[in-house]
Amino acid sequence: MKNKITTLFILAAMTLGSCKLDPVADPNNPSVTSVTTNASRNQLQSLVTGLEARSREYLFTASIAFGTFGREVWYFNSADSRNVQFWLGQGGRKPDANFYGVFTAYAAPYQTIKQANVLISAVNNTHTIGDAEKPAYIGFALTIQGYQYLIPANSQYKSGIRIQVNDELNPGAFVTYEEALKAIRNVLDSGYKALTQAGNTLPFRLTAGYSNYSTPAGLAKINRALAARTAIYQQDWQGALDALSGSFFDLNGNLQAGPAHIYGAPPDGFNPLYYLPDGSFSGIPVVHPSLVADALPGDKRVTEKFFVRKQPLINTVGAVPLSSQYQDKRWIQNTSPIPYIRNEELVLIYAEAKAQLHQPQDAVAAINRIRAAAGLPAYTGAQDTPALITEILFQRRYSLWFEPAGHRWIDLRRYNRLNEIPVALDQGSVFTQLERPADEVNWDIYKGGR
Amino acid sequence: MQMKKMLHFLCMLLLLSQAIAAQDNAITGQVRSATDAAPLPGVTITVKGSTTGAITDNQGAFRLSLPQGTHVLTFNFIGFLPQDVKVTDNRKLLVQLTENVKSLDAVVVSGLASATKRANLANAVTSISAKELTGTATPQTLDNALYGKLPGADIKSNSGAPGGGLSVQLRGISSLQGASQPLYIIDGVYLNNSVIRTGRSTITGAGGKDEDDAANRLADINPDDIATVEVLKGASASAIYGARANAGVIIITTKKGKAGRTRVSLGQEIGFARIQHYIGSAPWDENKIRQFFPTSRQEQEIQRYHNALANGGPFNYEKMLYGETPLLTNTHLNISGGTEKTKFYVSGNLSKENGIIKHTGFARRSIRLNLDHQLSTHISFSINSNYINSNTDRGFTGNENNAGASLGYIIGYTPNYFNPFPDAAGNYPDNPYPESENPLALRDKAINNANVNRFIQSGKLNIQLLSNARSSLSVAVQGGVDYLSSRTKVYFPDDLQAQRSEAYPGDIVLGQENAINTNLQAFLLYQQTVGKINFSTQAGTVFLETKSNSTLNRGQGLVAKQQNISQAAVQSLLQQYDQQVRDAGIVAQEEVNFDDKLITTLGVRFDKSTLNGDANKYYAFPKASVALNVNKFSFWKSHTISQLKLRAAYGQTGGLASFGDTYSSLLPAINGGLIGSKVSGVAGNPDLKPERAGELELGIDAGFFNNRLNVEGTYYSKRVTDLIQNLTLASSTGITTKKINAAELVNKGVEIAVSGVPVSTRNLTWTSRLLFWKNTSKLTRLDVPSYTMGSYGPTFGTYLIRKGYSPTTIVGVPQTKPGEYTLYGNSQPDFQSSLYNDIQFLHNFNFSFLLHWKKGGDLLNITLYNTDNGGTTKDWNDDYNHNGVPNGKDRQGAGAGVYVQDAGYLRLREVSLSYTLPKSLISGAFRNVVEQVKIGVSATNLFTITSYPGYDPEASNFGTQAINAGTDLFQYPSSKRILFNVKVDF
Repeated sequence: MKNKITTLFILAAMTLGSCKLDPVADPNNPSVTSVTTNASRNQLQSLVTGLEARSREYLFTASIAFGTFGREVWYFNSADSRNVQFWLGQGGRKPDANFYGVFTAYAAPYQTIKQANVLISAVNNTHTIGDAEKPAYIGFALTIQGYQYLIPANSQYKSGIRIQVNDELNPGAFVTYEEALKAIRNVLDSGYKALTQAGNTLPFRLTAGYSNYSTPAGLAKINRALAARTAIYQQDWQGALDALSGSFFDLNGNLQAGPAHIYGAPPDGFNPLYYLPDGSFSGIPVVHPSLVADALPGDKRVTEKFFVRKQPLINTVGAVPLSSQYQDKRWIQNTSPIPYIRNEELVLIYAEAKAQLHQPQDAVAAINRIRAAAGLPAYTGAQDTPALITEILFQRRYSLWFEPAGHRWIDLRRYNRLNEIPVALDQGSVFTQLERPADEVNWDIYKGGR
Repeated sequence: MQMKKMLHFLCMLLLLSQAIAAQDNAITGQVRSATDAAPLPGVTITVKGSTTGAITDNQGAFRLSLPQGTHVLTFNFIGFLPQDVKVTDNRKLLVQLTENVKSLDAVVVSGLASATKRANLANAVTSISAKELTGTATPQTLDNALYGKLPGADIKSNSGAPGGGLSVQLRGISSLQGASQPLYIIDGVYLNNSVIRTGRSTITGAGGKDEDDAANRLADINPDDIATVEVLKGASASAIYGARANAGVIIITTKKGKAGRTRVSLGQEIGFARIQHYIGSAPWDENKIRQFFPTSRQEQEIQRYHNALANGGPFNYEKMLYGETPLLTNTHLNISGGTEKTKFYVSGNLSKENGIIKHTGFARRSIRLNLDHQLSTHISFSINSNYINSNTDRGFTGNENNAGASLGYIIGYTPNYFNPFPDAAGNYPDNPYPESENPLALRDKAINNANVNRFIQSGKLNIQLLSNARSSLSVAVQGGVDYLSSRTKVYFPDDLQAQRSEAYPGDIVLGQENAINTNLQAFLLYQQTVGKINFSTQAGTVFLETKSNSTLNRGQGLVAKQQNISQAAVQSLLQQYDQQVRDAGIVAQEEVNFDDKLITTLGVRFDKSTLNGDANKYYAFPKASVALNVNKFSFWKSHTISQLKLRAAYGQTGGLASFGDTYSSLLPAINGGLIGSKVSGVAGNPDLKPERAGELELGIDAGFFNNRLNVEGTYYSKRVTDLIQNLTLASSTGITTKKINAAELVNKGVEIAVSGVPVSTRNLTWTSRLLFWKNTSKLTRLDVPSYTMGSYGPTFGTYLIRKGYSPTTIVGVPQTKPGEYTLYGNSQPDFQSSLYNDIQFLHNFNFSFLLHWKKGGDLLNITLYNTDNGGTTKDWNDDYNHNGVPNGKDRQGAGAGVYVQDAGYLRLREVSLSYTLPKSLISGAFRNVVEQVKIGVSATNLFTITSYPGYDPEASNFGTQAINAGTDLFQYPSSKRILFNVKVDF
């Protein structure tokens, strides 16, 4: 009897033990490992498009945050007044390690950099494409990396950034702003070199945002434009001019020319900066009133970029009530592309480099190209470098208003003129830079403590 | 021996009493259960100071012959409270015995296929009976009914909206990730208690799915069907449930039929709800307007202000929106009965409770059939079937980031001189203030609905393979299915003010979700008695599969009034998510019972799951316990202390990773007509293993005065290891987090229950119970960098995850050094206590109430932050610190401390008074068709004493998240409910 029972129990246990569970494969997404070795051409294309999609993710946050720091805009948000109280530095508030609402402007560029690294590694570890095709992928990936590194570099400034980020468990040390810019130039130069070895056609498709640049040579021009932008932050004026010569810079060409981020109806994303004219919103960037007040009479950029509302937008949270009659007018519809570097900026880079290199005629010619386009008379001011720089910064304020790179804030910082940022209306203060994010601080403490 | 003799004697008396005519004074009567009026056979009746006695027959009837005079009869029955009844005449007695759920003889679940007497348990298992659950006041949902009745539990409601949405935490936090809710098992079926995504938070910009403000699906269960709820609070009790039991296990058993006459019970409740209290808002005047608005708006605002005053203003938005007195109705019918072979319980429930906001409400329709059949002497089976349809309209409250999608936000940001009432033509005026929506238009036109159809089916088969005097062997097979299909709708019509500012006005999200849980278990049970020792062995296997798929489709730019996505200009898929999980386990348990004196149990469960990194690796969860019934030993002589039990138990359980945690994914990214793959910022970890809780529970249970006073004291120490953590990587690596097993947490606590029957006479039975519980948590190991998480960041208070601190620690701005914040409080209560009293008096009256005291525990009052911004906080205009700046402006720069507020309270949870109509009255009126009529009135949350200034000190904006509870952000205000009920038994 006892034996029978024991047998029964053993039998039962055996039946149970033999039950094997098939692991459940992710039913929703492909895995990262599916592309790490022998990725197909299609998979590489997906990574390229993923890179393009990632590269625009910083845009909204960076635009409204950096734009606010430089008082190009105010971001009125009734549902969360930190956009006013914190971003304007009211009551002496300063950025801290978990500063409100700016994290995406730091994390998204690095996710793009990661994406580019995964693409590069996938390209280097596949046999499905020929070696001749590889430089195009790598050149594009490095160009986008250079573009993206510059975003945290500029917002973190003296807080420094990391450049070596490929191994997520062993990121490299923080480097200074100057070292970061140098590294970015190197990344862009490597990308440029790859693109020059990439033949005549791209082995992948890009969106319409690159329609005028969808060859290795076209991408190389974008690469050089970004290198020129980086060079002026380094005060490498000759370097800027050299880079411009390889870029799509055209003193007399279309100022709007340049690559753009593409938007669309779902499943794509809508243009995040589009707001229905005269609509009522609880969250919207408004034009800082000083831009209208300080504008030269007849400046077409004012009428082209600022929409005059019937009712002003107001903000009643924070230290003082704020009001603006203007909203952003640049986007025709919510699917309009947003350019990230334009010929207009390159013309102004040219002017600045020339002014710094004491070639005032060339500088003034470029300035006048901009003034003419804005419907303003030619420049008649002094031709010394400080005067020209003042004029160039003024033109940059209107020509590059509220562009995602946050030009105004960074321009005034480069020339030690942050005190020119108008804070009287909002009783706030001006930040020099953001603080190093808490996760970075914590990671170093964590690694150091091990 | 003495006892046995007496019993024999009594039986004989009973038999004789049928035959011999009464010589003295014949006392006859019937004994029934006070709960359901069922006759109680086998009740022992003794007469004080005499050897006379009787036992009730099958119909609960008895007959006694006593000499003339006054006598005291004592009624005793297992599982019921004893009752003394004084008799002087020979009229017919009706005695109602009250169930004693804490009875030592009551049977409590102890294994997956077995149960044991409460007296022999080594754990403090809380049992909640039907009477406690629904007897005082009918709750809307089951979890609502657990408040204050469960020592060791911290319960929070996400919203005051009808239809539930509660978070239950047993013995502190047991996971730092996501939801940490107990496992619910109903009649052996793994219940799906998930929160269905509606997409509301996506289109109102509120953030993640936790801010959808949807209800957890426990709301579908009809509380009236429940016979008992047993709560295995910690790992030592729930070890046998293995890898899913870290947060405790709540076992629900539904009612069953009893052999005998078919019984029909019809209950009708009707009542109303009211807001608990209004929080008020600050007045406006010209001065404040000038201070508040920019110059460009001041004149216009002053104009509006005066216009409003001349036209019925200022307006009280709170009363306008939250001031409804909705009707609550609840109808339940149940029919039960059967023969010794076949028993059935059939029930139907119609419940409809509207909310204090117009157009919100919860309706549940449920039917159930529970069938038990004895196929032969060796084989029995039971089938429980339940179909439920529930429909919830929750309205729009809580967080939002897009204009005008939450009533609270709108009125928090609107000065009280805006007139929102529609004109004669029905046009709602536009709201010129920042929230840009007319609150009445949002309330009347927008839809936030969830409709759930659900089948819960369970079956059980018992086969007795062998049975003799000394041993028995049986097989128990049990399984079930929980199938749920839901349709959700979030709709903003095109003519809403906020929609008109959109490029595509008119927005709808339709969600569809199907989820099925299937589980099966098979056990062998072997019992053997050797001398005074009883061995009870069980071994078996369990299998569980959960599958779900959900889609959320969206249409933007709708044709006027249309709610079909094909009528939208932009049609999109907002989300599709599929999920599949399989678990398998092996269980073995051995219980050795030495003459009910010393009971030891040893058990182990091996579990594997596809949620683990290695799907086929078994993880072992052992348990061991010992209970020593000191009073059962012969040396025990005390009569005062009638029971003394010492108990110790240790056990381990697991907590599984969330679905997807092991995957490193490439997420879809569509751009410019091309489909891309982007590397997810969250890296998966293929080495993840389950979290593991090991709990030691020590306790002492004592009964005094024949167990009329019981004291149960429990101490536990629960150590959770291998806690799954988001390793927050340096965000510059492009990977923000990776899940790893990297922390250890200790919860320690005490639970004390004192219950007793201070008075038990025929005219008055008073049952009282005092509960006290306290838990402290501490993170004892953290292998990832310290971090803060939860709520809305350090600005308003957030939680600090750091070794040496409780994960409920609240910190916030200002920063003390880079990455370090000021310490402000703790969301965990200092302790909680509840007092339950049930008084039966004058035969037919019953009065009961439940008081619940929560001491301490801070809440993040982010509503305050917003109303300060909007100029509407009640004390906005005052100037407490006399600095010339109103409070509302002052607080904005004061750091997070002002939002961290004490949320302790004393609340009258439940109170009820009922009256059972005298039998004489009923039999006259209804010609004996009606057995019992009971009428009553009950109330929930009638009053709350708290210093917390918001609507409810229990608010929790973030649903069921483990740590992130306790944020007040414009939730649906809580209400008090009053219900009148009539119950008729046939």
